Order: sequence, then C-alpha cells, then structure tokens
Amino acid sequence: MVQKILVANRGEIAVRVLRGIREAGFTAVAIFTPIDRGALHLSHADEAYPVDSYLNPDAILAAARRAGATALHPGYGFLSENADFAQFCADAGVLFIGPTAHAIRSLGSKTAARDVAIAAGAPVVPGTDGPVTDIAEARRVASQIGYPVLIKAAAGGGGKGMRLVEKESELESALRDASSEAERSFRSGEVYIEKALIHPRHIEIQIFGDNHGHLIHLGERECSIQRRHQKVIEECPSPLVARNLPMRHAMGEAALKVARAAGYTNAGTAEFLVDADSNFYFLEMNTRLQVEHPVTELVTSVDLVQMQIEVAFGAELQRKQEDITWRGAAIQCRLYAEDPANQFFPSPGRIDRLRMPSGPGIRLDSGVYEGWTVPMDYDPLLAKLCVWAEDRPRAIARMARALGETEILGIANNVAFFRQLLQDPDFQSGQIHTGFLKSFEYAPDTTLTESELEAAIAILASAEAPAAAAAPTALRSNWGRR
Amino acid sequence: MKRILLTPDTEKEIDVDPSSAERHDLETGTTLVLDKVGKVHKITHGGGRLLVNGKEVRLSLADPRNRRRSANAGNDSGRRDVKAAMPGKVIKVLVEPGQTVEAAAGLLILEAMKMQNEVRSPGPGTVAAVRVAVGDTVASGQVLVTLE
Repeated sequence: MVQKILVANRGEIAVRVLRGIREAGFTAVAIFTPIDRGALHLSHADEAYPVDSYLNPDAILAAARRAGATALHPGYGFLSENADFAQFCADAGVLFIGPTAHAIRSLGSKTAARDVAIAAGAPVVPGTDGPVTDIAEARRVASQIGYPVLIKAAAGGGGKGMRLVEKESELESALRDASSEAERSFRSGEVYIEKALIHPRHIEIQIFGDNHGHLIHLGERECSIQRRHQKVIEECPSPLVARNLPMRHAMGEAALKVARAAGYTNAGTAEFLVDADSNFYFLEMNTRLQVEHPVTELVTSVDLVQMQIEVAFGAELQRKQEDITWRGAAIQCRLYAEDPANQFFPSPGRIDRLRMPSGPGIRLDSGVYEGWTVPMDYDPLLAKLCVWAEDRPRAIARMARALGETEILGIANNVAFFRQLLQDPDFQSGQIHTGFLKSFEYAPDTTLTESELEAAIAILASAEAPAAAAAPTALRSNWGRR
Repeated sequence: MKRILLTPDTEKEIDVDPSSAERHDLETGTTLVLDKVGKVHKITHGGGRLLVNGKEVRLSLADPRNRRRSANAGNDSGRRDVKAAMPGKVIKVLVEPGQTVEAAAGLLILEAMKMQNEVRSPGPGTVAAVRVAVGDTVASGQVLVTLE
C-alpha cells in the first residue's frame, strides 16, 4: 500500500510540499481550516481533512490518524519549530519530517543556539557571556570588543532595553537607561554587551544531515533585502561570497560545527551576520525548511523536499560534500499582499485578475488563484517568484522581464515595488545590507504616455457599452459591471 | 462621443472614438491595443481598476449627460471621515469622542495578516465619533472615526 504524508500547513509552502510528496510517489494529504475551504493547496492533495487551526497539535494528529498518514511535513511557520510538537508526532508514531525534538530544543532559542555555537567553536557576535552589572566591567568589555557596542536586555526582544553606544563617554548613562527599561519591560534589569554591526549583511547557510551521521552544507543564500526583519528578496549565490569563494567554505564549516554539536538531522539553516570586513558571526539556527529554499534548489540542482522525505524515512544522504556544486545565479522575490504606497499595510481581499509569468528560467511557487479572496487571518505571502540565469546580471534582467509579465489586480501588492528595486544601482552592483530598504524610496511610475492614455480610454469606452460595440473586436470582458 | 475623463485629482472633457485602435482580447480581462505607430499596449482590467503596460492607474469615463454636479463641492467645511484603507480587525481604540488630535496622531490599531497597523489622523481636529469597537472586523472603506 502506498504510504501517506500529511502536510500541516497552508499557502504556497503547502503546495510546494504536496507537489514533492506526489513526486516521491506517496499519497498527499492536506489539512484546512474553515477559512481555507477554497484554498489552492487542497487542489494538490489526494485527501484533505478539516482542522480548527494550523496550530492545534491534537486536531492535526487526529487528521493524521483519520488519514492513516505515516509521516507529517510541517512546512515553515506554525508548528514547524515547536519541539513539543515534533515529540508529540514521534510519540503518536507519526514520522516528523524535520530534525529531532532534541535538536530543535537545543537550538530553539537564540541564546541556547549561541551557547552551542560558542562551545562548538563557531564565531558569534563578540560580547559578554552573561549579564553585565557594574560600569567598570562594562567599560573593560566594551573597549575589548571595540565601539560601537549594543547594550541588550538579556530577557528582551523587539528593541526594548536596547541602546547603541558609539563611544565610552555614553556608556554609563546608556547602561543605566537600558537596564531600567529592561526592568520595566521584562521585570529583569539584566543586560549584556555585544559588538554593534553597522549595516551588516544577512547571509545564511543551508545544511542537511541524515540519521547516519552525515552532514553537508549546500552553500549560502543572501537575504539582506529585508524590511522590519521580514525578508523580501533572497539570492544564491550571495554577491559578496561570489567575489570571495573561500567564504562559502568557511561559513559552511562553521554552520556544520554547530549542526554536529547539536546532533542535527534533516534540513536546517544557519543564519549569520556579516560585517563590512567580511567577518561572519553565527546568529541562530532555523530548524526547518526556509521560505527561500528554492534559490538553493535552482543553483545546486538538489530537491530539498525530496531529500527531506528520503532522509526522514531513513535513507543515507546520496550526496557527499564534494558532490555539491553551484551553477549560475537565482533570485527570489516574495510577492506580498501589501501596499508599498501606504506603509506596506497588508491588503487582503479578492484577486480580480492574476497574470503570472512563464518562459525560460522561471519558477513560480504560488498559493493563490484568480478569483480567490486572500483572507485577513494569515500572513500576506501570495507567491514566490524565482528566476535562474547563468549569472547575476542576467538573473536580474530575467526577473525584470518576469515582473513585467506579472499582473495582479484587486489587492494592493508589491510587484511595482520590485520593478523599481531591481533598477537600483546599489542592488545591481550587489552593495546591499540589512538597512538597504530603510533608505530606499518607493516612487511608482504611474504616468502614461499619450498613446497609452488613448489606448486606456478606448478600453474604458468599449467596456462602457458592450452592446453598442461596432468595433470588429467586441470586448467580452465583464469590466464595468457593478 | 463626448466623455469626461476622471482621474483622482483631475477631470476633463474629451472626444472618444472606441473603434479608433486595433484591439484583440487575450484572456478575460486582458486586451492588446495596437496603436497607429505600431506600439503594443497591454491593458488588464477588473474590479474597476486598470493596469496599462503594468502600471496601475485610476481612470474612469463619465457621460456628461448623466453627470450630476460633484457631490463633494462645498461639503468640505465640517466633518471628515477616517476610513479603513484595508480590511482588518480593530485591536485597540486610542481616542474617544471630544478628544482633540494632532495631525498624524494614532486613532486606532487595526490588525490584518498578523500585522498591526496604526491608523493615523489625516489632520488636526476633534474626534466627533468613534464608529467601531475593539474586536470589530472592518471592511475596506468603512468609516472608523469621524473628525470635525
């Protein structure tokens, strides 16, 4: 009997994984919430079962039992990095396609991952190991790691209790302010000191391990184009690493050190920050398949989802490190339902028109279709548009062409934003960092030439009176019906 | 035929000949227009919106015979409605009736797609009414707050 695999996710990643499951010869099982009754991912499944939430482990396992699924793929987000859920699946006899609960737990928090990395000898952002309380110690540490430094709340996040200190004279008051803010926000005034990286790049390494002790890396992805810590464009190779290939090997080795120390299996991603002098520092491990995995697949010709399934069922990795090669350049644009002209406000709603690109070098991972209403309840990722070409300039040109073919009407979206971004000279030359989008100003081109305006008017006029269409090519469109 | 061409901030009377250019329908909602000098224009339309060679523009035609005088004329003195730019759920209301607000002051917080967004005052004024409550789901264009 053919075994079944359940995908505990929705949207484009559910579509991606369900496709992989069918390609691997398994029966594809989907789940869906009431809101997702008409969602695209169901059309890629052989069976589908209702759940109340993609975050409810009991409902998901009940669906798996009902389907008789032997394995479960969590996708990304939702429960994918929840160690208890991975354990819950294992205890229920359902194979969790991902790392073990133990590995997820030991790398789960940034601080835990940092400790593992330090013990394994991977470089981390220089700073204090524990909290700093008195100013004398703070002065000593700060001058040792070099200004500027960041004071961060040990219990914190979201910028609360954080201070950037440019020089020693500012240190004492910043320490006091950060500590009292941390006390107010997190009921713990403990702060630590870290080297401040100005305009770092975000570069990550894809790793992969089997259950037989083999671990390999599949090179890097550059994800420096982000807004509010949300990645927007990803590419492989990194324009920086492409000019300095020994970095790929060094970063790969550092990622594997952390993975080995945690007994890592299946797919994972080690995130690094890279400073202006190309020094790299381990940040955290994402213990799942990444949103941006397609760019690695396009450049290495490795199907990461297939490999995840094979390895989870106990197969040995078929590729050794020396078998992994990188060819050409791939770029991914995340098409979001958001309004770049209005503070990137999310824009759920009905997709009235959807034209997606095709042709040479295009890969589209979409979770939507024309006529579907994008719900307000989930994240705004509509589709991932990826291109591959022989080199980065050709990949940029291909992406520009593909975006020119892309048309979305009915909901605000960032297609025009990408068209402009690809023309930016700093982006084209690869001079990018995580602050890039802060200084990028979106100015959409909405001016029409005279003949464009005439053409638009002709369309509006025909749509207005389809019955009176004397023109030989009568419009069949329903535009204008209210 | 005579028409009025409307854009968000202009209107002008024009002469329209719908059969002047060569047109071919592709899929529903997309039409190619070949102009006199050989340029190809791709126009996609739906839901009352228009993409002209990929550029989203707001254009519409009105028949001068059925056109009423602009309803907004002279109506600008008193109350101003702040509307939801996007659908969402009201997470927090930051103002109450009678309160004076500065331009760009936060009025309420809407959440959609796991993101919270502050709706700000378009200008200085006094809150005349708050039309929604915490927990309400609002549609795009729905009035949230009335200022005066």
